Amino acid sequence: MQPTSSMNEEFLKKWQMGLQIFRPSIDNTSVHERKKAIKLSADVAMASLRKGTTCWSRALIEKTATEDNFLVRQMLSGIKAEALINKKLPKRTVCHRKIVRRSKKILRRKSKSASEEAAAKAKRLVKRRTQGLRNVVPGGELMSNDVLLLQETLDYIVSLQTQVNVMRSIVDAAEAEIER
Amino acid sequence: MNGGDLLLNCTDMSVLERQRAHLKYLNPSFDSPLAGFFADTSMINGGEMDGFLATAGLNLPMIYGQTTVVGDPRMSISPETTLGTGNFKKRKFDTETKDCNEKKKMVNREEVTEEEEEKSKITELNNGSPKSIKKMKNKAKKEENNCSNDSSKVTKELEKTDYIHVRARRGQATDSHSIAERVRREKISERMKFLQDLVPGCDKITGKAGMLDEIINYVQSLQRQIEFLSMKLAVVNPRPDFDMDDIFAKEVVSTPMTVVPSPEMVHSGYSHEMVNSGYSNEMVNSGYHHFNPMQQVETSSDPLSYFNNGQPPSMWHSDVQNLYGSLGV
Repeated sequence: MQPTSSMNEEFLKKWQMGLQIFRPSIDNTSVHERKKAIKLSADVAMASLRKGTTCWSRALIEKTATEDNFLVRQMLSGIKAEALINKKLPKRTVCHRKIVRRSKKILRRKSKSASEEAAAKAKRLVKRRTQGLRNVVPGGELMSNDVLLLQETLDYIVSLQTQVNVMRSIVDAAEAEIER
Repeated sequence: MNGGDLLLNCTDMSVLERQRAHLKYLNPSFDSPLAGFFADTSMINGGEMDGFLATAGLNLPMIYGQTTVVGDPRMSISPETTLGTGNFKKRKFDTETKDCNEKKKMVNREEVTEEEEEKSKITELNNGSPKSIKKMKNKAKKEENNCSNDSSKVTKELEKTDYIHVRARRGQATDSHSIAERVRREKISERMKFLQDLVPGCDKITGKAGMLDEIINYVQSLQRQIEFLSMKLAVVNPRPDFDMDDIFAKEVVSTPMTVVPSPEMVHSGYSHEMVNSGYSNEMVNSGYHHFNPMQQVETSSDPLSYFNNGQPPSMWHSDVQNLYGSLGV
């Protein structure tokens, strides 16, 4: 799962497509508007590379669609945008609060040895971190199991690296151009 | 006498049915309920077998003597399953007769785990795991001895589709819940290992919590970088419509250019090297090689055809200052 140059190219093509869709509205706007447009199109381009096979890409597309539905629809026209946007994300599992509280009480009642306590503490730490990861990865709160979460994180990181790589190359090129 | 009892003892009926059908396929003449039963025991993983031993030992110590006789001639028919069953039966017989002898039992268990090991190797072979290649020769020899490669292949395929083979090492819990949990943990640690390779600076950290911390930081830094880079692009390029296709079309063999890490990146929280160290060398090279021609072309030809930079450089610098303010970096 290493980013490849073919992935770079694909992303670049998609992104360029998104930017071209933006062009008419982008001409006379502020820096912030432009930045937002660039970022949104890059996000969608990145997510659309996965063609809806991963949770994070679907979640990202859904999130972007709420901000700029037109763009997303235009960009995803190649790969059945409707199907992607409307594709159901896994349902979030909700525990009954009462049951959770009661079970916690029962757990607390047991007296613990020092080692058990340490293990419990470590477990809690890991749990908190996992929750943090959920908040960082798009659609993470919908992934109920840890294995899936880690897998999606892997994929997401690879995609982010691709994106950063391509963007930086272009920025560097543009800067070199300006400095000349 | 034994058919009904044995069927009751089997924990998983669907497995039994499947195995019986399979054995019928392998050996048409052998289609008593016993066939299913023995195939079943050979397929069940360590945990269930232990449970089974306990229940079977209560009422039917005699059966094992009979069944060993039945099982032995089948050894030549299908090497994977029947070889296993034959051995299993003998072992079980041992465990039943010398139940009080704890040491002996331990030895038998060991043998059982060995058997499991062998089976997991077989499944690994299917997955093409590098670990199993070493053992391939060994197994191939065995198959030659048994002279029925075809049937064993079929067996392997069936195994692959129907079961996940897990082996319990000595001293590990063997009930199905613990095994499932262990499989889950193994999967997680495998993913973590991949992440460790991917996230720079993560390989020095031990412990799951620390690693997760690092991963979160890395993802956030990447997200921030994207934010920053898109901002920069917006500032640099008033109209982001550079013709990438033209650039790719005009790709020429260029002299290698070193890409100097931009000083701005240091401000954004993560240095350039930090990010790049995550890639393999080949990746970095190919990536930059890919984009080097672009720079080459731009510097050599009319810039306006690629980047519509109407803003003078001085303006650009002032914009970057604003950018820092707005990003809060």
